[in-house]
Amino acid sequence: MNCIGEPISWLRLERFALGGGDVAIRDHVATCAACRHCLDEIERDVVALPPLVVPAKRRRWWKLALPIAGALAAAAVLLLVLRPRPHQEGFASVKGLGEVQLDVVRERGGVIREDVRTFAPGDRFKVIVTCPPARPVWLDVAVVEAGARSADYPLAPTRIVCGNRIVVPGAFTVTGDKPNRVCARFAIAGEPARLLPAATDACITLRPDQ
Amino acid sequence: MEPASDPQTAYRAYGPALVRKAERLLRSREDAIDVVHALFADLIPRWSKDVDLPYLYRAVTNRCLNVVRDRGTRARLLEREQQAAAPVGRVRLDEHIVGVGLIAALADRLDEGHLEVLVARFVDDMTQDEIAEQLGVSRKTVGRRLERIRDEVIALRAEAAG
Repeated sequence: MNCIGEPISWLRLERFALGGGDVAIRDHVATCAACRHCLDEIERDVVALPPLVVPAKRRRWWKLALPIAGALAAAAVLLLVLRPRPHQEGFASVKGLGEVQLDVVRERGGVIREDVRTFAPGDRFKVIVTCPPARPVWLDVAVVEAGARSADYPLAPTRIVCGNRIVVPGAFTVTGDKPNRVCARFAIAGEPARLLPAATDACITLRPDQ
Repeated sequence: MEPASDPQTAYRAYGPALVRKAERLLRSREDAIDVVHALFADLIPRWSKDVDLPYLYRAVTNRCLNVVRDRGTRARLLEREQQAAAPVGRVRLDEHIVGVGLIAALADRLDEGHLEVLVARFVDDMTQDEIAEQLGVSRKTVGRRLERIRDEVIALRAEAAG
């Protein structure tokens, strides 16, 4: 059995059988026995296909890892920014002012040293502070002996203009055989209250010479 | 005809057509079903919305050609072809129906592009225009490939006769 003209391809016949509605094919198979036979074959045929198992979509590991890595990175940054900083000797953060630093200079027998944290009878200490420049602030210095429930205030509260290594007027001595905490309390509005030193004060420890 | 949105839908809609196509080449429904099922199983992880019947038709051609090229299965295919009823021949190559035997012989002489044209023209009965559209080549290229196929067939017959 031969086609009367150009045979309709199997692909076009299959598409027609699937509901393609091609008028040219309909007209052709109406007159061509060979192609009609092929179309009949397609329409009569029953194919028993085995089931196609489509596995459930698994997220690729990197698709899962990316958001997790992002979240971890964000958490790390937050921790870095928000973590409570360990109190560093001599430094404090004062609300409304910023980071401040306390240091002392010791004068012993006419020798002045900045790098010491020990005392002996007769030593004189001067307080040096560093705070954000060009801010006038009030400053008070407290000295607390280890174990004491009250502080000494060897210097009068003073008003300074902030800057690098500002020398606070006056000097004081430290006595006894226990360590002493020397703290600087800053205040913007007026003289700071004379309370026991707190975490917001910048403090250093002076230890007696061995 | 719209491409199928997912492998299951395409398998149900186009699977039978693809099995019939593979069966014309392989002369075995069982092997044809295996080819089509394996094709869909492979396509699942990289399924694209652009997959339509012509694309799958071409994919089945390539899979069947791989089976024919395999020398282990070729003998079985040739034996099966001799036992099977003659296919309905509509497009012939020099008055001969193109079967597995000829495709297998030409598979050793022609590249993939020529074999695709061979199957499209003499197994799927496509016109040269359809082949050009299906393969994404010019009609002139299709014509050139058909000429080459004819030359190879003539050479094969001359070798067989001599």
